[in-house]
Amino acid sequence: MESSEQARFETVVLPHLDAAYTLARYLTRNAHDAEDVVQDACLRALKYFGGFRGEGGTSARAWLLAIVRNTAYSRRGRGRVDAVTTEFDETQHSGAAADEHPEGMLLQEDAKETLGRALDRLAPEFREVIVLRELEGLSYKEISEVAGVPVGTVMSRLSRARTRLQEALRTEERS
Amino acid sequence: MTHPGFETLDPYLDGELAAVDARELEAHLAQCAECARFRDGRLELRAAIAAGVPAFQAPDLLRQRVRAALKTAAPARAPYRLSLRSMWRPLALAASLAVVAIGSWNLSLRYAAGEALADDIFASHVRSLMPGHLTDVLSSDQHTVKPWFNGRLDFSPPVYDFAGLGYPLLGGRLDYVDGRTVAALAYGRRQHLINVFLWPATRGPRNAPRFRDRQGYHLLHWTTPDYTYWVVSDLGLAELHDFAHMVEQGDSAAGVTSPR
Repeated sequence: MESSEQARFETVVLPHLDAAYTLARYLTRNAHDAEDVVQDACLRALKYFGGFRGEGGTSARAWLLAIVRNTAYSRRGRGRVDAVTTEFDETQHSGAAADEHPEGMLLQEDAKETLGRALDRLAPEFREVIVLRELEGLSYKEISEVAGVPVGTVMSRLSRARTRLQEALRTEERS
Repeated sequence: MTHPGFETLDPYLDGELAAVDARELEAHLAQCAECARFRDGRLELRAAIAAGVPAFQAPDLLRQRVRAALKTAAPARAPYRLSLRSMWRPLALAASLAVVAIGSWNLSLRYAAGEALADDIFASHVRSLMPGHLTDVLSSDQHTVKPWFNGRLDFSPPVYDFAGLGYPLLGGRLDYVDGRTVAALAYGRRQHLINVFLWPATRGPRNAPRFRDRQGYHLLHWTTPDYTYWVVSDLGLAELHDFAHMVEQGDSAAGVTSPR
């Protein structure tokens, strides 16, 4: 590849490596997997970078995070597909229990904080909107680009995820 | 106004509501205990997340691995094709190159001026971070900050407090930028500090925000028909854009609804 393109990639995309790693950490819930996801995602990003010109106001960060997200999901998909292939139905999955992810329960002992545990227990669709909004400060529009869902869905997921986390905090206070 | 329902409160707290809607909602919040309780719960959660859910830094080893992987990856690029089907194309190309050359000469002069100004603004921002330099007038209320500028400046800067949106106004001060005295407003965002520099615009048209970087700080610059704005902070760029949007909206909304 031309060195100028490589240089452009390094200046446009690599500054968002921390954000990429943070998202990967929370999606994989594991430092080692997160590193692999980020490395894979960067290679994918380089492959498609020729087509990225920031059209339609897409920021390089949102663009990279979308690739990180898809990379993480497709890796998870090898072991389990529920979160990946089935389109999440907001009306069907309205019960609180559906927001919980079974695998999260096994990882409880790894997380130290109540909130961290509660976040890990959220289904990835809910966990990622919290990370993208609260930790990365993405706008609703950017989150909708990263997650590939309409802004309205971003809003309802964010709202539900927050309510779940608040419930977890309240439960902790009581016990 | 009617009860808006909780679903508008999240967008409001996230700074995703238009300024006019946000003002309406604030009015409602002042008198609806239920909504106020909901907001307080969300603010508590936000604080708990800020305190207990960390953002990570990519490990240095990962950074090196990525760079190494990028160097060895040489994706096949589509070959660059140039069709020269007719004679006018090279001529048109030459003519447009000449136009581009003249244009970019002009642009580069303007660009250099912009860069020098950005350096200036950045230096002011860093100075303001030194102890005792941030504010001349302390406040969390635009009604004490705005009058303070009277008699100190030859213009009355628009001052808004975005405390309800998580960007409290900390105060104001005078600064000297681009050969003139300007208004500087300090805002807070969690542990971050945002400086807004503004002075009357010399050029008319409205320009969308442009972005620059100085040693890890972000600078956003835009003009409205009335004012030239510079915003500097170490805050994340997405949030800084949100903030710039609020400042812009505050300004343009001022003509429609009077500031509270």
